[in-house]
Amino acid sequence: MDVFTLAIWVGTLIFLGISLAKDKVKTKQALKMALGMGKGMVVSILSIVFAIGLILTLLPPTEIAAFLSTQSALLATVGGALLGTITLVPAFIAFPLVGTLVNAGVSVVPSVAFLTTLTMVGIVTFPLERKAFGTKFTAIRNGLSFLFAIAIALVMGVMI
Amino acid sequence: MTIIKKIKENLFLVIVALAYIIMFIAKPVMGIESVKSSGYYIKEMLMIMPVIFVLTALLDMWVPKEKITQYLGKDAKAKGVFFSFLVGSISAGPVYAAFPMCVMLHKKGASIRNVVIILSSWAVIKIPMLINEAKFLGLKFMAIRWALTIIAIIIFSWITVKIIKDKDLPGEVLTQAGLHINRDACMGCTLCAKTYPEVFEMENKKALVKPNEALDMEKLGNAIKSCPVKAISYNEEKKL
Repeated sequence: MDVFTLAIWVGTLIFLGISLAKDKVKTKQALKMALGMGKGMVVSILSIVFAIGLILTLLPPTEIAAFLSTQSALLATVGGALLGTITLVPAFIAFPLVGTLVNAGVSVVPSVAFLTTLTMVGIVTFPLERKAFGTKFTAIRNGLSFLFAIAIALVMGVMI
Repeated sequence: MTIIKKIKENLFLVIVALAYIIMFIAKPVMGIESVKSSGYYIKEMLMIMPVIFVLTALLDMWVPKEKITQYLGKDAKAKGVFFSFLVGSISAGPVYAAFPMCVMLHKKGASIRNVVIILSSWAVIKIPMLINEAKFLGLKFMAIRWALTIIAIIIFSWITVKIIKDKDLPGEVLTQAGLHINRDACMGCTLCAKTYPEVFEMENKKALVKPNEALDMEKLGNAIKSCPVKAISYNEEKKL
């Protein structure tokens, strides 16, 4: 557990303690509400989690990296961005992977495109985001994130 | 009929389950591999989701609407943008952990722009991630990507507001007068029916408003507050 997760736990527990001391009924209601939220999301989250496991097996990050390094810059950029949207790789795998890519001489642009869409755009989280914010919001946010990920990659290509 | 409806509602789950079944028949080794790699994400989820739910509910209970509107609302301007980035950056956990939090904040007055900023910065510019990035790709690489990402989020959150209005979000379709339940958001927790059984009842695992004469505003208020997904809304009839 990293420091930030731990901090959220500690902070929330303190908050809960204060809440409990101030108003038992309200706190109980809040906990019930939290449980309700959990019940409402658990199926969707489990689907996401197992979908990620499946995608990681079918499209291992190392093979994506190998693929990106063999393509032309344009194809690799678009491909990298697209592959980044369907996979969701934890940071401790993504950064070393992209690090080896860049060190191996792969152009910065596709690497950054891949890295940015990896975390910002999510096909697997789309159903859940849609449930929470509606189709239009989700489509626009993810669409714009995708376009801007490519823009970020291009600017970085010029700067580095 | 109901089976088709159930499948439609959980389409994503059904697809994932089918993919696993096919995988286990065709390539059992890969199936086992997939379950194994899901393990990390299950751990990640268990570490953060319970605490996020409790924190969201507590904030919902204790932070008044005016405060959220003041710091994250439409008129918060640059202050709102700053606080949104702050909330997103000091957060932990995968992006879906931000969903319940952002739904709550939006219901309490956070603007769409700031919700977009929180969601996006939650996903990409968390501090532990930045440290990791600097380690593997160098400080300069990290700093430039970080700055560009912030600029990008500021621009596209501004564009989003031009396209998306509050009414496009579920739960915001509540401008009609009277008592409404957003049945897409309702997940059948039965809390409202328990809090105010004279008005709310369950039908097909979703809450329903019973025909009613007079409303007890206090009980109704409690029922609205108890709803974990904020699916109940009440607007007083405007008399001209």
